[in-house]
Amino acid sequence: MAESIKYLSSAWRDEAEKRLKADLNPEKMNRLTSSMSNIYKGCPDGKDRYLFIKFADGALAEFAVGEGDAPAAEFQITGDYATFAKISRAELGAQRALMSGKLKLKGNMVKALKLASVADRVNKIFATIPAEY
Amino acid sequence: MKNTNNDPYFIDFEERIKKVQSEMQREKIDVYLGSRLRTLSWTSDAFCPWRSFVVIPPEGKPTVFTFVIDAARIVRESWLDEDHVRGFAPMGGQDQIGQIADFILEHIPGGRGRVGIESGMSNYLPEGFLTHYEYEQYRDALEGCDLVNAHGIIDRLSLVKDEGTINRFREASRIVDVGHRAVFEAMKNGGWKGVTETELAGIAALAMRRAGSEWEWSFTGGNEIASGYRTGYAGGACTPPTRKELKEGEPLLVDIHAMFKLGLGDHAHNYFLGKATDRQMWHAQNFVKIVEATLKTYRAGISPSSLAEEMMALAEEGGFADFMVPGFEHGIGMMGDEWRIGLNDGPFPYWTNPEHVYQENEVLICAMQYACPDEEIGFRYENPIVITKSGCEITSKYPLGVETL
Repeated sequence: MAESIKYLSSAWRDEAEKRLKADLNPEKMNRLTSSMSNIYKGCPDGKDRYLFIKFADGALAEFAVGEGDAPAAEFQITGDYATFAKISRAELGAQRALMSGKLKLKGNMVKALKLASVADRVNKIFATIPAEY
Repeated sequence: MKNTNNDPYFIDFEERIKKVQSEMQREKIDVYLGSRLRTLSWTSDAFCPWRSFVVIPPEGKPTVFTFVIDAARIVRESWLDEDHVRGFAPMGGQDQIGQIADFILEHIPGGRGRVGIESGMSNYLPEGFLTHYEYEQYRDALEGCDLVNAHGIIDRLSLVKDEGTINRFREASRIVDVGHRAVFEAMKNGGWKGVTETELAGIAALAMRRAGSEWEWSFTGGNEIASGYRTGYAGGACTPPTRKELKEGEPLLVDIHAMFKLGLGDHAHNYFLGKATDRQMWHAQNFVKIVEATLKTYRAGISPSSLAEEMMALAEEGGFADFMVPGFEHGIGMMGDEWRIGLNDGPFPYWTNPEHVYQENEVLICAMQYACPDEEIGFRYENPIVITKSGCEITSKYPLGVETL
């Protein structure tokens, strides 16, 4: 697919889910059971949005994007839409965004560090989706 | 490494925390934010060498927050699980102020309540009271909460030791005795010739670590070794080892430290190197005499001042009062709890109350320093003791004396 999809739209969600299911398997995800919410502040339309992703024993169990309050998750990352967009376009590293305070992580960091590489695998898949920000 | 209830070193941390929570309720404190090293040791059962905090909610387990590089180790070594040990780092939402303040607010409905903090001062450097900066930051982050000084809760509850804690001190003292035997074996028959104070500190350290000591915990240079003039500093009782070589005819002071499961060993023994003059022996006899008398005097019901008066009278009678540093104890508890005896209720804030009345099962260091700077001679005695109804239990069993090596 070459056409761009609007970032965080339902079409983008469907495409992301398809790619996650195709490219990840429980072994690649270290049989992880966890959940994470990304909270996007100040989207282009002025609203706040979330991305929620949940894995159970390494398999994608839930994947949602939406407006308003995000479902409760083990980890919550909050930041400006523009920051997340830069990360998705590979213009800014997620770690750098956290270290500079552009993103705020809520959750047990010791556990988060163990999950950093699998989260990275997920982000890399998102980055392959031609998106319009 | 975990605290299990089938060993002699078991401490019932859940019960300990419940007692804290009961005191919090009595003092109308919603959440306790501990920052002192002694509080970390006493509540987590782990050595926390980096800046750390413990948050005690109104009920349930406490959560330790430490520098992220050490959090996973503390999970393994404390009684707490992964959900109750958090790491902090310079990262959005993960810095110690933001993360801990958010965590505290989760336990304070509506964001209004009383947060107990640890504010004060100490002559013990690693004490860990909240710094002025930290206080300001927490005050701002916890807007709507009152921050009240509450370390008295921990101080009161940690004063009298339980059996598991006392057993840890006994084992640490057994290890220290192993260190003293190793020093003696290495130094006897002229073995001290060419040896430096730092090397001797290492000989003791190796033996104690082989016997299970975790480290030479004292911030005063680990094992304190002094020889010659360094044994007799006026009013002094702090001798980090130096590169000074041991010399014939000099006194030698060996004050070594071991840690076992946060229980602390601290025993000092004294020698003469090669030979001693009659005058030096006279000083040594005075020292042994006053140590013996002090150990016989300690019991529940006496106070530091009553003991000091009695012992200084004895020294005066023996003609050696000029050489006695007039203190006979310092406080001790699980790692981080050193120097002050009892509660902060004396005439000088954060120093030992001289009228503190010892109770059964308090642990303290029977400590005294004999110093004659003009003659470049001095001796030190330290030994963790457990106060009993009618006396004290001496935990380090190494025989008292001043031997000539």
